[in-house]
Amino acid sequence: MADGLARDASIFVAACVCGVASGLFGIGGGVLLVPFLALFFAFGQHRAQGTSLVALIPPTGLLAFLAYARAGYVSWKIGLLLIPGVIVGGILGGLLAKRLQPQRMRQVFAGVMLVLGIWQAAAVWWR
Amino acid sequence: MTLMVLLLGLAVGVLVGLLGIGGGVVLVPAMVYLLHLDQHMAQGTSLLILLPPVGLGALREYWKQGQVDVRVGILCALGMLVGGYGGGLIAVPLSSRHLRGLFGCFLILAAFLLWRKPQPKSPLGDSVGEESSRG
Repeated sequence: MADGLARDASIFVAACVCGVASGLFGIGGGVLLVPFLALFFAFGQHRAQGTSLVALIPPTGLLAFLAYARAGYVSWKIGLLLIPGVIVGGILGGLLAKRLQPQRMRQVFAGVMLVLGIWQAAAVWWR
Repeated sequence: MTLMVLLLGLAVGVLVGLLGIGGGVVLVPAMVYLLHLDQHMAQGTSLLILLPPVGLGALREYWKQGQVDVRVGILCALGMLVGGYGGGLIAVPLSSRHLRGLFGCFLILAAFLLWRKPQPKSPLGDSVGEESSRG
């Protein structure tokens, strides 16, 4: 049981790290949580993704959101317009995930993120 | 403009379901570059979008296949709630410029994590019996 407890504790700590990234960058945190679960806790890819989705059901970003809202950093109009699309798209994506080769899909996505990340960091700091 | 925002939401949602991620990592750059929001504004708005359970529909599909560990999921939710508060406190006072640069670095890191994936070739539901999927 101590073993299970240690595992739980390390999962909690890993999730805290994801949370800091979530608050710092205004993201869900799943993008870190999925690889964490897979790399450190031996979750299969689908299981890591499903579990990450569970963690994203409750409003985990609530405290971070309040910090932004207090500072006036929220565009309600755009936010509310985006929500329905994300929900419908999420269902489509879940269905697609069963058909597609997720490995390939993830690598394409990782490539896009890499380019975007380099571009964004360079645009800000390269001068 | 409105139509574009709706379509953008749809596109992001597909990625949410497909990759099991929150979508913020796509939403934030999309809002910065396509909708020309300031970095802080994009991040705050992204957090607003993620408040309702946008991944619920996608979760259902994973659930049907038994690819969900509820206990670990809840544990992670708690950790992320706590960590999120800390992250928010760090981000708000930062200058928008540096925050955007940091975000870029984070994307690079996330890209590497996403790319390198051990392939245990787990067949569907291999460890379902071990972890109490449902209480």
